[in-house]
This record gives sequence, C-alpha cells and structure tokens, in this order.
Amino acid sequence: MSEQRIATSKVAGTWAWFFQRLSAVLLIVFLGIHLYVAHFMGVSEENPGETLITFNDVQVRLDQLIYVVVDYGMLSMVLLHGLNGLRTVAFDFDMFAKRKKLVDVGLWVLGIATLIWGIIILFPFIFGE
Amino acid sequence: MKISISSFKWLFGRNSEFWPTNMKTGMWAWVGHRLTGLALVAYVFLHLSFLTTASLGSGDFDSLMATTSKPLFIAMDFMLVILVIYHAMNGARVVLFDLGIGIRRQKLVFWVTMAIAAVLIVGGLWAIWHLIIGGSGGA
Repeated sequence: MSEQRIATSKVAGTWAWFFQRLSAVLLIVFLGIHLYVAHFMGVSEENPGETLITFNDVQVRLDQLIYVVVDYGMLSMVLLHGLNGLRTVAFDFDMFAKRKKLVDVGLWVLGIATLIWGIIILFPFIFGE
Repeated sequence: MKISISSFKWLFGRNSEFWPTNMKTGMWAWVGHRLTGLALVAYVFLHLSFLTTASLGSGDFDSLMATTSKPLFIAMDFMLVILVIYHAMNGARVVLFDLGIGIRRQKLVFWVTMAIAAVLIVGGLWAIWHLIIGGSGGA
C-alpha cells in the first residue's frame, strides 16, 4: 500500500495538488464571507431583527453584483475542491487509477454541468421570477 | 482487469493499515479528512437539489426556509458545521506540512489544530443553541 500511495500522488499530478491547496485557502475566505453575510449581517433590510431568510431578501442581496460574484465564486471553488478531492480518493483504487482519462473527463463534465446548474438556480433571484 | 474481494485487501482486514489498531494519529486524521470530505461533496449536491426545488421548481422558497429553520434542521446544520470545521482545521495542518512547517512535531500540530477546531465547534454551538432549543427557529 505504501508503494501504492506514492504511485497515487504521481497519478493525481502536481497541478491537482497545487489547486487543491489554493482552493482550500480561498474556500476558508469564502466561508468566512458566507457565514458573515448569511448569519451575522442581518438578512432583512426592513426588519433587522429577523433571522428567517425570504425570497425577497435574497433578491435584494443579489441585486448587487458583488454577492453574485461571491456566490458563483464560492460554488466554483467548492466544485474544484470537492471533485478534485474525489479524484484523489478515486486514484487510491486501482480500478480508477487505471482509467485516469475516463475519471478526468467524467469529473470535468460533472463539475462544469454542476456549475451551470448552480448558476441557473440563482436566475429567479437575479432576473425575477 | 478483474475486480474481486482481494482487490480491497489493503483497505479492509486485520493486516490492513486501516484496521483501527494499526492506525496511528496521522492515519486517523487522514481517514477522517477523507470521510468528512466525501460527506461534504454529497452535501453540495443535496444543497443544490433543495435550492432547485425552491427556486426553479414548484416549491416555495419562503416555506422551504421556514422548514429548514426548524430545530431538527438547525441540528443537522450543526453536524455540517462540525464536518466543515474538522475538515478545514485538518486541512490547515496538511497545508502547514506542505510548506515544511511543523513536520517534526506533527502530533503536537495535530492536537493544536484539533483544539482550535473544538473551540470553534463549541463557539458555533453557543451561537446557534437557542435556535435548536428555542423551538421557533427565529421565525
């Protein structure tokens, strides 16, 4: 197994390693922003004490470009980090390590499709229902 | 290539390095990192699915928010918080080692990061406790 693990890190590659660290650090930053914005800033402009988030609150937020950028940026980093992590785990198993191309293509397709899915989810908030 | 039970010998069984009594601190940390990581990936897809029914589907966003602010859901949210904090703090430890910091004292670094994780988890629980016990979930 120890030989296998060395082999695994070679299969995954240096770029995967680098982007996993970069996205990890960015995710901590995004997570801080996300927690502050969603739970500490006060969700409702009209009713500061209210903690229950409404459709309208989200709409007001997403009217400002910065929140859209933060949301989509965070989703991109989550997908990059999560699916890259999945790839690393997968390559510890022979059956996936031997099908590297297939795993890579599959995860890229899944990642891009999920990002598009996430982007579309916010459309009703950004453009109205 | 044939996949059989023996393909997974390295993963399971008494001679596997993952058998609990064969694992040392760093290995527990590594296994925990993977398990929390896998759970968090699953959560992302669950999260997007729920938001889809509330934003694009027939579901109503406001009623979903009312449901998810009930004590049971806040408690599940807190499980998520625990997973994220463990994963982030252990991840910070991994990044430190990659930068060449603290490798010689890796056990100490592990327990320091876990102590910080514990403080964050207790702090988080303190912050949302009233939403779990209080009943109305801030509604």
